[in-house]
This record gives sequence, structure tokens and C-alpha cells, in this order.
Amino acid sequence: MAAATKEPSSASAGKRKRQENGDKSKKRRKSGGDEGVDLKAQLKQLEAEILESRKHYNNIATLLELAQKNDEDRPTAIAASETLCRVFVRLLAMGCLVERREASEKDATVTKWLRERLADFREVLLRMFNNEKLALPALLLAMSLLKVEAQHLDGRDQAAFPRYFFTQVIYFIIQSPVEQLREEFTEKFIDEFDDIRFYTFAAISEFLKDPSADLDETVRAIIFNLLLNIDHVPSSNKDLDTFYIEPPTTKKRHPVRSLSQHKSQAQDAWLALMQLGLSKDQRKKILSVMSNSIAPWFTNPELLMDFLTDCYNAGGSISLLALSGVFYLIQERNLDYPEFYTKLYSLLDADMLHSKHRSRFLRLLDTFLGSSHLPAVMVASFIKKLARLALNAPPSAIVAIVPWFYNLFKKHPLTTFMMHRVPRTEEEKQKIEEGGVEDVFLAWERDPMETRAIESCLWEVVQLQGHWHPNVATIAKIISEQFTKQAYNVEDFLDHSYGSLFEAEMGKEIKKPPVVEFMIPKRVFTKVTEEEEKQGLKDSLVAGLWDFGTA
Amino acid sequence: MAGSQLKRLKASLKDQGIIGPQKSKKQKRQNAQDAKASNEKRIQRHEALASIREQFNPFQFKTNARGPKFEVTTNKPVSSREAMGISGRPGLTKAKGEERRRETILVEMQRRNKVGGLIDRRFGEDDPNMSLEDKMIERYTREQQRSHKKHSAFDLEDDEEMGGLTHMGKPLFDNDDAPKYLKDDFEEDVGSGDESEGSQTDRRALKRQRLEGALEAVGEQEEGQPERKKTKKEIYEEIIAKSKLHKELRQEAKEEDNELRAEIDEAMRDLRPLLFDRIKPPAKSDKPTLVIAGKDQATLDREYDIQVKRMASDKRAAPTDKMKTEEEKAAEEANRLKKLEEDRLKRMRGEKVSDDEQESDDENKQGGDDDFDAMDVEDADEFGLGQGIAGKAKKYRPTATELGFDDEDDFLIDDDLVASGSELEFDSDDEGEESDEDEESGSDSGSGEEDSDDDEFTKGLLTESEAKQGIFRLPTNNTKGSDENGVPYTFPCPQNHDELLEIFKSIDVKQLPVATQRIRALYHPKLASDNKERLGNFAQALVRHVNYLGNQYQPTWAAALEGLTRHIHSLAKSFPIEVAKGYRSIIQEMEQSRPLALTVGDLITLTGAGTTFPTSDHFHQVVTPAMIVIARYLGQKIPQSLSDYATGTFLAILALQYQQFSKRYVPEVMNFTLNTLCALAPSARAFTPNTIGFFPIHDPPAGTRLPTSLPADASAARKLAFSDCLPSNQPSLELKLSLFTTTLSLLTSASTLWSQTSSFTETFSPALPILSSIPKSLSPAIQSLQQHLTRLLQISRLSRRPLELHHHRPLAIRTYIPKFEDSFDPNKHYDPDRERAELAKLKKEHKRERKGALRELRKDNAFMARENLRVKKEKDAAYEKKYKRLVAEIQGTEGQAANAYEREKALRKKKR
Repeated sequence: MAAATKEPSSASAGKRKRQENGDKSKKRRKSGGDEGVDLKAQLKQLEAEILESRKHYNNIATLLELAQKNDEDRPTAIAASETLCRVFVRLLAMGCLVERREASEKDATVTKWLRERLADFREVLLRMFNNEKLALPALLLAMSLLKVEAQHLDGRDQAAFPRYFFTQVIYFIIQSPVEQLREEFTEKFIDEFDDIRFYTFAAISEFLKDPSADLDETVRAIIFNLLLNIDHVPSSNKDLDTFYIEPPTTKKRHPVRSLSQHKSQAQDAWLALMQLGLSKDQRKKILSVMSNSIAPWFTNPELLMDFLTDCYNAGGSISLLALSGVFYLIQERNLDYPEFYTKLYSLLDADMLHSKHRSRFLRLLDTFLGSSHLPAVMVASFIKKLARLALNAPPSAIVAIVPWFYNLFKKHPLTTFMMHRVPRTEEEKQKIEEGGVEDVFLAWERDPMETRAIESCLWEVVQLQGHWHPNVATIAKIISEQFTKQAYNVEDFLDHSYGSLFEAEMGKEIKKPPVVEFMIPKRVFTKVTEEEEKQGLKDSLVAGLWDFGTA
Repeated sequence: MAGSQLKRLKASLKDQGIIGPQKSKKQKRQNAQDAKASNEKRIQRHEALASIREQFNPFQFKTNARGPKFEVTTNKPVSSREAMGISGRPGLTKAKGEERRRETILVEMQRRNKVGGLIDRRFGEDDPNMSLEDKMIERYTREQQRSHKKHSAFDLEDDEEMGGLTHMGKPLFDNDDAPKYLKDDFEEDVGSGDESEGSQTDRRALKRQRLEGALEAVGEQEEGQPERKKTKKEIYEEIIAKSKLHKELRQEAKEEDNELRAEIDEAMRDLRPLLFDRIKPPAKSDKPTLVIAGKDQATLDREYDIQVKRMASDKRAAPTDKMKTEEEKAAEEANRLKKLEEDRLKRMRGEKVSDDEQESDDENKQGGDDDFDAMDVEDADEFGLGQGIAGKAKKYRPTATELGFDDEDDFLIDDDLVASGSELEFDSDDEGEESDEDEESGSDSGSGEEDSDDDEFTKGLLTESEAKQGIFRLPTNNTKGSDENGVPYTFPCPQNHDELLEIFKSIDVKQLPVATQRIRALYHPKLASDNKERLGNFAQALVRHVNYLGNQYQPTWAAALEGLTRHIHSLAKSFPIEVAKGYRSIIQEMEQSRPLALTVGDLITLTGAGTTFPTSDHFHQVVTPAMIVIARYLGQKIPQSLSDYATGTFLAILALQYQQFSKRYVPEVMNFTLNTLCALAPSARAFTPNTIGFFPIHDPPAGTRLPTSLPADASAARKLAFSDCLPSNQPSLELKLSLFTTTLSLLTSASTLWSQTSSFTETFSPALPILSSIPKSLSPAIQSLQQHLTRLLQISRLSRRPLELHHHRPLAIRTYIPKFEDSFDPNKHYDPDRERAELAKLKKEHKRERKGALRELRKDNAFMARENLRVKKEKDAAYEKKYKRLVAEIQGTEGQAANAYEREKALRKKKR
């Protein structure tokens, strides 16, 4: 039988993957051939016999055997497990698996035997999770079995969530090599059902605390991704209303219905994961979603404080990312961070304006320096330092920071001396005429109160008014025009890149004929000959510094 | 006016001739015979009576007690009514209201509590639920359906009878009964039609009244006194008659014209010598043909046609151009160049070049566009203005043809090409110089040659064959004959790059400029109408081909590529849009498919774009995107090999060349150059970021660093070439050294270029510590660069002044000019708040409507009460009558009985 079905299975190997996602009954029909029909008929007969009489319960064992052949004969395994699932669903519904006290000894034996088989079947299903081709149908079967079990296994009216089985399911999902399985599980179950999410968190934290579990790098990464994918935090108890298995209504406050219980489960899971230590990339990932999708899960966000402070002190892009988490704590939990602005100032380094987290950082910076009660000296330091950085910055960064300067100038009029400083006395004037001025700004000073930036001028922005990009140059010019506008909306200037600037240029169709250089140069690539040189012709810069070869 | 009301009435009746002395029998008979006159008289009489009635009823008009409210002076005759300031006709409106109520409410009242009956389903008729508009629409659609095939149903010129509505072929419009067609709704429904007859006639009367009211005004204006009212038919007839009259007049005018034309035709023979005085007078043979015009009509016509054509194509007399002297021409040329230079400067500053009025219009439109364009800063609403107007509202680009040196430059390039191709050194002009210091002198010397060759070129353009000769003569004079090179004389004009590849397949790259020149000559736009388009496509293909060739660059191709680039440049003068599109499409490909892996072809294309288009412009459709591509590579590429450094160095040089004239600052160049120096510096002492300057430092790939001292056999530094940009070459010492020296000279050029910038110190001081960490033995240039930089830094420090950016004139406090209404009306509301004004208007309207509705309701009630009373009275009267009758009857009987009794009694008495 196994040998017989082998041939068509290899022939339709290409199709299989698609089919597995699709309807399974269709699949059986499609697998075609006599063997397929035979198998189908056989399974059907076995099923019918089981349901017909208790005498044929041994067929379950046969089916289990078939289902275990997952390696050599996948269609059979799937078909058999489906049949088994159906059988057990029926049996459960009929109450055959409920242990009754008043039952005769014989009945009790049968029930016990059936329960053992059910456990076997679970085992078989869970093991299928490791098989790439079988994992998805097995997951669906397992989850439907879970649902039926919850309702009927106890024989009580109220459904009880079968935690043990579910924990097993999660364990196997975590350990399975099939990435698709986890995606499917997240999408179809975790995102959909609040109770599944609840028990998933519980199972994960249990798994992470399990000393016997094998927590190597890959497993950790898998758990990390799984947790990361669980977003949209419910906002109140009322949001918790979709359940896979309806929790008992008799008990007034079932944990599944409580938001704080949900949160504490999630918090446990995250903390357990963080205690295991994270790689740098994982840290970055966590930090980037911290304030949006992780911190809200925490009932005590203070627990994140140490983690965030460590990250913030780490320097580099991790610092930039940690900033938003720190801000979250400052805002929500009134965290007091000593020398916060000094630390913030130290983040303004050469790479900052080139970093891909630039706009994120600038957004936060805008928030932090939004207060008009900050000392002007410090604000001036920030302005001057950023202007200095802008001298080596890409256009998209300049575009973002100059309007922000404008807003700061408006908010802190004392800093406007950086744009306009008239010598007050004749002597001073003369001194400047003779010796020029030195920039008194101390670029390497770490304390923003000590940089003397407020005594300096923004020559850098003036230089950027002659930037090669027309729009950047125009934006830089707002500093030297009259300050008639109340404020610029910095948000509009933040998200640009070379690509977006380029798109903006190319987006315009040419309607007017472009100007053409009116003189056709005598030499483009080749060198000027001696005779031409006598006439005052000179090499262009490129031709002078580059060897284009000779004719 | 004297006399009582009665006397006055009698007088006015007499005036109108309604009463008068008794007529004799004869007169009466005469009148009776003259039926039509009597009819007219009857109408007249009716009218006269009506007017008298009006006159004598003081309540007919509602007048303003104090006369008209405003004194009005107009040039229109003022009717008496207006003079009196009549503001309403209470009697008439009351009658109308009554009428309407009788039609609606009365019917309802009568039908109340009644079941069954006939429902008139003809559309609109007597259906009070249907608004007038709906009825009209319904009727209109029916009418349209009936007459939609007739396209000229209302053509008054058409003599045919108007195809109006008919019933069994008979027109529905009777003499004076226009709206009779309303009856046509249900043709077979005669019975029910009778029922509504009454209301219909009422309606008709109303309608007529309205129509007449309208006409009345006209009548009054014309004659000042009421005239007989015209019937509808008469009006239509009048209109038709008028239009016919106009038609006739037109016909007459046309005929007159024809006659005149015929006359001129007659006189043509005499006129002809006057018209064609330059042509010899008509040959003798003309005369006989004209004499026997009838016979030779065909030839005559033909000749006439020819002459008319000749006349049409004759040029108008124009003064001939004065021959200019050499000096004048030179001065003109100098002026032209000066103007071009000024324009360039303006464009560089981002101002608009405006010497064309027409452009200023476009400018406005452009302003709008630019607001949109400024979207790249996304702050369209707030920054778009600052951006769009200041930044880009200067994009007026004069095309080459507009500037009028199209031909000249075509010629120039040809001249140059011949010169370079043939090694015949023409004593050519300095036109080709890019840096413009000695602009004027160059053009002065250059202008001399132009005209001498000008003839040659234009001659070449006359015919195709001549063109071939004219242009190919020079190349064939060469030592290398073009035939030997296998360059054919004729080509199909390639329309895209694939075609071009096919055509140029067999031609050596070095000969491509010649081939290109031939194609350009063969398909010169003056030779055929569609050549313009063809050459445009060819130019686009050529741009792509240069990119294509660049990717397989051979050092020997430099001259050929240069030739092609210059050809493209020259083509760009005639086809700026096409060439720009060609460049832009390649640049777009670079940006999208390989922004950080530019090929040699891309480098050449970018160089070409930089020479073809003015790089100094504040904004340019081609240069700006090209610059973005360059800057992106320099800013974002983290070099992985020496070839990346070489490519970057080329781009840095190119960026500097782009900004040679406008001296704009390119941060990416500084970043890249300093990074390259750090990477090449031999000491491994890490240049950690934030210790030297504020540019990001990338870790160089292994093997890029120079040795601390040069080995003895090290070859000297050379110039970089495109072969260095190709990957897969080993990091040779020579290449490193060349990169190093090139970077040093690049830095020198950059520092010279940007020596005037306000932040020179901050920009260039990081270079010094890097340089000092490199052993001087590596290159003598280090020392000189250090000195150069130190000197420039010193100068920059001395010339630095505190910023004084805000010497603006203080802004005046904004004032609002009080708004005066020219024609102020105290009754009107001048609320500046639109919404409030609207609300007030609505409220007022609502109030008015409410009052009106109340009044209507009240009137309705009164009407109903009146009707009820009337009905009751009628009933009572009938009852009274009946009662009286009965009483009378009884009394009669009683009387009779009493009489009989009396009689009986009397009889009995008698008997007794």
C-alpha cells in the first residue's frame, strides 16, 4: 500500500505544497488513481466501523499506525489523521471518553484505552509539526481537536481550556523548524483570539523558565520573533471578547477576561526572554518597537528601566533607539534621568545625521527641546553642534534641521544673536576689521552649558545657503530672511532621502525646453594642445585630473 | 376734476365712444354687415370698459401714499402706473387667490367624505400634487418624443408649416386658443375631458391674461396708450414676417456683391497690368483669348488660378537688411554673449530670466506648478511658497532657436569636427572654452571665421545632393578617405538605440563622429518636414549610445566620445527636450538600478551632461538629478575596493567641475575626500570619528593603506583612468599612490573653489591633522597642500566677520484699509462673516415664508368659512323657499277650505 502510493506522490511533488494549504478533501480527490480511491475507501470503512460499534475500536490503532507513516507516505498520514480527528471528535461528542464513576469496569477500561489512544494521536499530531509538509494541516487538526477536547473531555457543561495539551502545542511550535507554521499560528490564532494569546504568553514564559528546555540561540530567536509579532495591545477589558474556547461564565473573573492578567502574562514572557540575554540585533529590534508594542504590555514598565538605561548608555545607534524607550518612561512613569541633556548632547556625533534612525531621533529631540524654559545657552549648544554636523550631512538631514533651528530661534530669542551680532563699540569693530573673529564654540566640550555656542555665529548655515541642491539652499535661506512665520512643521521635513529628493526631481515632466550651455566646449575628455593653450584655453578640471586616454 | 363720480363716469364713457348719440338705422346695419370691424370694435370696447373700470376703482391699485419712494430719472417713457408708484394690485391678486382656491380647496372640500368617482389620469391635468415644473417637464418630453425627428421644427426661415402638435392632422393651435393642446393628453378620453372643461377654460383665461400682461408693457412703451391686444397668432405672424424680411435683405446684399464681383471680373483685363507690374504685361495672345472668352474658358480659368496663386505667394515688400560692418557684427556678437552670460548669472542666483513678455505669463503658470513641484519638501502648503517661488520660479529657459543662433552653432560644431577629425588646425575661435574668464576676447576673435564658413554650410543645406558634397568635401580631403574607413555616405536615421546599434555595428567607434555628422546632414530639419522628429529621436539614441560605449571604454576612444558628446551638445540646441529626456532616462536608470554601483558609461554620461547643460543654474532639469546621483554615490557608498575609491574620486572631481562656476558647496565631496585620505593613510592609528571632524569615517577594506615609506622601485604616481574604476584589479601600490595624489590635488582644487565660503575653517581644518599624520616622503604634494591650506585658513580666519543677517527693514504693523461700499444700501446686510450673513439671509427668508404661509392659511380658512357659509345660505334659502312654498300651499288650502266653509255657512244660512 505504501509502495503503491509512493509513485503518484513523487509525481505530484511540485503540486503538493500548494495543495497542502488548500482544501484537504480536494487533495484526496486529486491524488487520484486506484490507490487513492482504495485508501479513501479503506479509511472510510474503518471510520464507519468504529462509529458503528465498540467492537471495532481497534481500528483506531490501525489508523494511528497509518498516521504515523508521515515520512514515507504523506497523503496517507494526512488522510489518516483527518479520519482519526473526525473519529475522536465524534467519540468525544458522544461522551465515550468521559470517565464516569458509575460505569462498569469494562466500560472504564474502554474509556481508559480510548484516552490513551487520544494521547497517542496528540503525540502523532505534534510530531507532524516538525515535518515541513505536514505541519500546517497538523496544526489545524490539533487546534480543532483542542477545541473539541475543551468542550467534551471533562464531561462537564463548561468548557475548560486544556492547558497541558496547549502548552505541548506551543512547545512543539517553538521547536519546529517550520517557519511557516509559526506565521500561520500567529496569524490565524494569536491575532484572532484573546484566550489563545493569553495562554501562549503563559506557555512561553513557562517554556523559558523550564530548566530542562533546550534554550539555544535559534530557539531564543524564534521565541523573540514570536513575541515580537504579537502586537496590538488591547486597551480595556471590553476589548477582550473574541475567544477560541469560550471561558466559563460562571466564574465572574476568569483570568482570560482580565486585561491586567493578560498584561502580566505578557510581561512575564518578555522578562523571561530578556533575562536570557539578547543579541545586538535583537536589542535594536526590541528598542525600535519598545514604546509602541512592548512597553504597553507591561503592568510595571519600571522593570524595563535597567534594560533601557543600559542600552541608552551603550552609545551608537542603540542609544538613539533607546531614547524613545527612555522617553516613554519619563513620560509615563516619571523617570528621573540624571544629566539627561548632557547625555542627549553627547548623542550628536558625526554619524548621527547619517544614521537611518535620524528622523526618529530628530523627532524626539524636537520633543525634548520643545520647552521654552530650557536655558538658552544649552539650546544654542544644540543648534551650533547640529549646524556643525550639517556641514558634512546629506541634504535630507539639512532639510530637516534648518526649519527646526527656525522654531528654536523663535522660541528662544536669546539665541538669535547667533545670526545677528553687531559689534557694539568702535574698538570692537576695529578689532574685528583687523583680526577677523575666531569661532569661540568648543566643539568637543561635552557639557552643553559650557560650549560657548551662544557667543558664536552660525557660519555653517550661511555656507549651506550655497548648497548644491536648490531646495536645500532655499531652505537654508530661511535663517537669514525675516522671521514672519510662527513656526515650521518639522514633521513635514523629516522623512527625506536621496531617493525621495531624486524622485521629486524626476517626477516633473519636462515641459519647457531646458537651457543648454550656449558654448560647445572645445575639449571634453581630451587634453588641450599646446597651441590651444597659447590662446588661453585650459583643461577642464576633469580632463586635468583624469586620464581619459589618447586618440 | 369737477363733477360727481357719476358725471365723470358718463364723460369718460362718452370719451371712449361707448355711449354716444343714437345711431341711425343705416349706420347700425352697416356696422352689422362689417363683421370683422364689429369684432374689433367689440374687443376695443371691452378694453375701454376695463380701463374705465380700473380708473374708477380707487382700490384697484395699491399705491404708495407719499408717491414713489425714490425719484428716478430714466430715459425710458414712464408709464402712469409707475409714476404713481403702484406697488401692487390687491384686487387682482385677491381674485387670483380666490380662483386658485376654488380650483384646489373647493374641489377638495366637495370631495370630502365621498368615496369612488372618476380619477382623471391624464398627466398633469388637475393634479394639484404635480408641480407646474413637473407638468412642464412631462409635456416637454412628450412633445420632444413626438418631434425629435424633425431637426428644424422651429426654423422660422423654413417656409413649411410649423410641425406643432396636431390632432388627427388638424393643428391644435386655433386662432386665439394657444394652450388647447393641453387637451391632447388623452385622445380617446372625451368624456372625462368634458368634466375638466371648466377648469381648463379658466386656466386658459389665466394664461392669456399673463401673456397679454407681458405684451401690454410693450404696447405701452410703443404708443403710450393702450392699444388693441394682439392675439398670439398675430404675434407669431409678425415674427415670421420680420425674419422673412431679413432673409430678403440678405439675399439682396448677396446679389449686389455678385454684381460687383462680375463687374470686377469684367475689369480684370485692365487691372491686371497694375497688379502684376513686375511681370511682363500680358502677352498679346491673351487678348484674343479674352475676346473669345467663351471659347477658351478652360485655359483662361487655369491662367487665372495660377495668377491668383502667384499673387497670394508674393512676398510683401520689405526693406532689405543693411549690410553690417565687421565691427558691428563683432559688437553684436559680444553683446549677445554678454547677455547670455548675464542670463546664466541670473539663473545661478535663482532669479527669473525675463526678457520676454510672453514668458512672464508662463511664469505665473509655472509658479503654480512649482508650488506643486516643491512637494519634495512636502510642506507644500507652508514651504511650497518659499520654496517654489524663491527657489524655482526662475526656470525660464530660452531655447536655442529663440536665441537665434541655431544655425551658427550647427556650423560651428561642423567646423570644429572637421578640424579635429582632419587634424587640419583651423585657427578657430575660443568658443569651446568652458571657464569664462576671457569670454569676450575669445568671441571677438572667433566671430571672424564664422561668416566665411557660413556660406559653405548653408550652401550645403540647399539640396540633399549638394549637402553631401558640401559637407563631405572636407573629410574626403583628409589623408584618410572616408571610403577607406568603410563609412557609408548614407544612413537610415536611427530612431532608437537598437536601430542605432544595428546601423553603427560595422563602423569603427573612431569614425562615429563622421557618421553622426553625415546623418545630421542627411536629415537636416530643413530638408524634410519629419526630419525634426527623426533627429530628435536620433539625438536621444545617441545619448544612450555614448553611455553604451562608455561601458566598454577604450582609452583610444576619448576623441570619438568627445566628438559624439559635442554632437549631442549641438543637437541639444535644436532638440533640448529630447536630449534632456535622453539624459534623464539614463540618470533615472542609474538612480533606480545601480545608485551605488555606477559604471564607466554612467561616469561619461554624467560628464557629458555637465558640459551640455549649464551646471551653474540654481535648478536644472538634467543637472540637478545628475548632481543628486553623484552626491548619493559620494555620500552613501562605503568603498569596498580601490575601484570604488577611483569611481568616487572621479565623481568628486566631476562634482567640483559642476560647481566650478557657481561655487556651491558639496558636503559629500568633503566627506568622501577626507574619508579617502583616512583610508589611504599609512599609519593604522585609527581616525576615530569625533576626533578630527564631523564626517563619518568608514573602515577601509584591507590592503588599502599606503606603506609608511615607498620602496625604491615604486613607480611614480600617475593619473587615474577609467580602467581603475573597473573592479577585479589588485590593490597595487601604484594605484594607491595615484589615488592619493589625485585626492590631494582634488582637495587643493576644492579648497581654492570654496575659499570664500563662510565656514571654510570648519570645512577644511579636519584635513590638516590627517595630512600631518601621513609621512611627507609619500608625495611632495602633501607639503604644498598643507601650506596651501594653512594659508587659506589664515585668510579665512582674518576675513571672518560676525554674522549680521537680519538688517531687514522693520516690518510695519499690518493695517487694514477700511472697506467702503460704493453703493451702500441700508437695507442690505454687509456682514463680512459669510456664514453669519448666509444664516441671516436664511432666517429672513424663513420668516417671510412663514408669514406668507400663515397668511395663506388664514385666507384658506376664510375661504372655507365663506364657502361653508355660502353653502349653508344656499341650503337655508332653499329650505326657506320650500317652507314658504309649503306654508303658502297650506295657507292656500286653508283659505280655500275657509272660503268653502264660509260659503257653506252662508248657504246653510240661506237655507234656514
